[in-house]
Amino acid sequence: MPFGYMGKILLVDLGSGELEERNVPDEVYEKYLSGMGLAARLLYDMIPAGADPLGPDNVLGFVSGLLTGTGSLFTGRWMATGKSPLTGTWGDANCGGFFSPAIKRCGYDGIFFRGIGKSPVYLYANGIKAELRDASHLWGQDTVEAERSLIAEASPTAHVALIGPAGERLSLISGISTDRGRMAARSGLGAVMGSKRLKAVVLDGKKRIRVHDPGAMRTLTKKCSGSVPPSIPISGGMNAMMGILLRVLPTAMAMDGRLVLSMYRKWGTTSLNQMSIEWGDSPIRNWAGNNEDFGLRRSAQVNPDEIRKREKVKYHCYSCPLGCGGICTMEGKYRETHKPEYESVLALGGLCLNEDARSIFYLNELLNRAGMDTISAGATAAFAIECYENGVLTREDTGGLELTWGNTGATVALIEKMVAREGIGDVLADGSKIAAARIGRGSERHLVHAGGQEPAMHDGRSDPGYAVHYSVEPTPGRHTLGSWVYYEMWQLWKTVKGLPKPALFYFKGSKYKADAEKARIAALNSKFMNVVNGSGMCLFGSFLGAGRIPTFAWLNAATGWNRTPAGYLEIGERIQTLKQAFNVKHGIEPAALRLSPRALGLPPQPKGANKGRTVDIEKLTRQYWMEFGWDPETGKPTGECMSKWGLESR
Amino acid sequence: MPYRITENCNGCGACKRICPAGAISGERKAVHAVDADACIECGACGRVCPRSAVLDRNHDVCVMVKRSEWPRPDVSLKSCTACGICVEACPAGCLVMAETPRKGGVDAWPYLKDEKACIGCGFCGGECPAEAIVMRKPEKGEKTAA
Repeated sequence: MPFGYMGKILLVDLGSGELEERNVPDEVYEKYLSGMGLAARLLYDMIPAGADPLGPDNVLGFVSGLLTGTGSLFTGRWMATGKSPLTGTWGDANCGGFFSPAIKRCGYDGIFFRGIGKSPVYLYANGIKAELRDASHLWGQDTVEAERSLIAEASPTAHVALIGPAGERLSLISGISTDRGRMAARSGLGAVMGSKRLKAVVLDGKKRIRVHDPGAMRTLTKKCSGSVPPSIPISGGMNAMMGILLRVLPTAMAMDGRLVLSMYRKWGTTSLNQMSIEWGDSPIRNWAGNNEDFGLRRSAQVNPDEIRKREKVKYHCYSCPLGCGGICTMEGKYRETHKPEYESVLALGGLCLNEDARSIFYLNELLNRAGMDTISAGATAAFAIECYENGVLTREDTGGLELTWGNTGATVALIEKMVAREGIGDVLADGSKIAAARIGRGSERHLVHAGGQEPAMHDGRSDPGYAVHYSVEPTPGRHTLGSWVYYEMWQLWKTVKGLPKPALFYFKGSKYKADAEKARIAALNSKFMNVVNGSGMCLFGSFLGAGRIPTFAWLNAATGWNRTPAGYLEIGERIQTLKQAFNVKHGIEPAALRLSPRALGLPPQPKGANKGRTVDIEKLTRQYWMEFGWDPETGKPTGECMSKWGLESR
Repeated sequence: MPYRITENCNGCGACKRICPAGAISGERKAVHAVDADACIECGACGRVCPRSAVLDRNHDVCVMVKRSEWPRPDVSLKSCTACGICVEACPAGCLVMAETPRKGGVDAWPYLKDEKACIGCGFCGGECPAEAIVMRKPEKGEKTAA
């Protein structure tokens, strides 16, 4: 009997309409965990080389995590996985809410879809039966409306993951929504779902999730629960001042995640809004600007206290005692929205020099309902604005929109057009890289991307770790896979002997030294995040630090395994190599995924918080590849490395 | 080990109607059966069976209990962290999160929306990591706060 995981997947062929339950051998979980690791292991074999991401051969997976539902905390994350139509690489997107336990309650660790349906369908499963049902009547509905209809139709206790009109129209920056607009937004996997004519996955299972040692789980959880910090007792204004302090001081302090979580407890990720801009963590004006272009006066409307005024009630994902989310009220067409995340606020705000908070709330809900990624949508709008400002796009091209920096009305209208795929919106609806190819006329000069995906709102010129992970990960452009500050907060050296331990205080300049230790830290980040994503754990929970959140001990207690933390990091290393091998199998040159020069400080910024900063990406990339035993020239896993992980036969 | 129905079953269908997992099948007036794979061991079938025809996971005969005496969750909001584990664990869907913050707080709170639908399984309390839920029999005329 499996403990922690369910030991089974559901495989749905939308072409033939056949559904098949498959048992997964224990050995797979022992080598790859569940969640993303399980998906990587299965999709590496299942998706043929060169498969069209929007064709029948791509396989879209919805996976839970090994620790989900086991009595652990911060483990309510699920992931969508598949070959990304945006980047052509391994694609994944992570999301919270209540969909992760819902997968396991149906008796599965993952549900995988291949083929293309003849007409729109949705999957309904409840642990006893699983069937495809007609979804023609839902096609065209937005994510919130359609979710409501499905819950009314299927069961009041059902949990739903679904696409909106953006995914249906195959926007390559569309995602998958759950729980009234929480998005698994990245990698364009909404378009994969749309291409398969799969509107939704509706789950209403009740199965029990068994753990090996419930007593140990309870003891570990109780201890962890006690380390979750209370809300930070400072104002939003003071929070912004902290950003200024971080900018002007020549030294930095190794970050303790409890401080970050106490801010998230109070404001959620919006706590970063002004603070990050001030210290140089936020890209401004399509990565060409700096904090001086979007100072405290211009960013005043998104001060976290201002956002908090609209928060009706906090929103907690499954098994989260923190509650960084919130349900906010708003005026106008939509009366409620999930509290806009920092990422959305900056992409739709500072990146476009838009200082109007009301428009950010509106666009947040518009995009959540359309099922479009707020990061990529905002970044693509910023790209278009820069093109317009430089005469690459004309008023005729934009359908009359005066697409200038900070023109709120034009930015809103542009994104509305992207959602509707109208005029210039149709050109931009597949992200900035494809838009540049369609526009031509030298527009690629204004592009900022990694492997085709718009990087998130954390600037590698402030923390080079972000730039490294945007560039070297098999899923490029993702901000949730590592940075130097994440490593500081994870405190892995407390559980694994011999790992680098950052100094408590250090000169900021040392962050830019491209030494072998940095590459080692980046490799450790990737390995650890694979464990986190195999466990269904939340990145923010992991910020508590290894001494406080017992990720590895929970895994042992849930499964009955007896692995060391180093043993788990080894699993993470195996998963990373497998994902890299996935890319190589699909003809991706790892070096081609590198972040655009502008975002690497090439040339360096003449002023602002990141003045004169450049990331030595060449050296760091090479060293990172060597950490995994991949070819230092090409980034491809060597034959020796593949056989080390038992992958040579695939 | 799932629950089981013995030959004592008279096919009244009470267990089939209450089973939140849809694990029980059988024709009216015929012996019913539990689908071992679907059974979640909530015990509701045993608590409603008038014929003592249900055996629990230890093969002990389940005793029928008057519905008004079934234990109900009592949530201590002082300890509750609003993590939603209890709500998700509830197989009857009767425990839900409020859409408004608790008094004097910012978090939502779990409450028994449909008291009549509660099957007294105790999964909510069993899974609560904060030990904030106690299952107890309601006093006469008492509405549980949970």
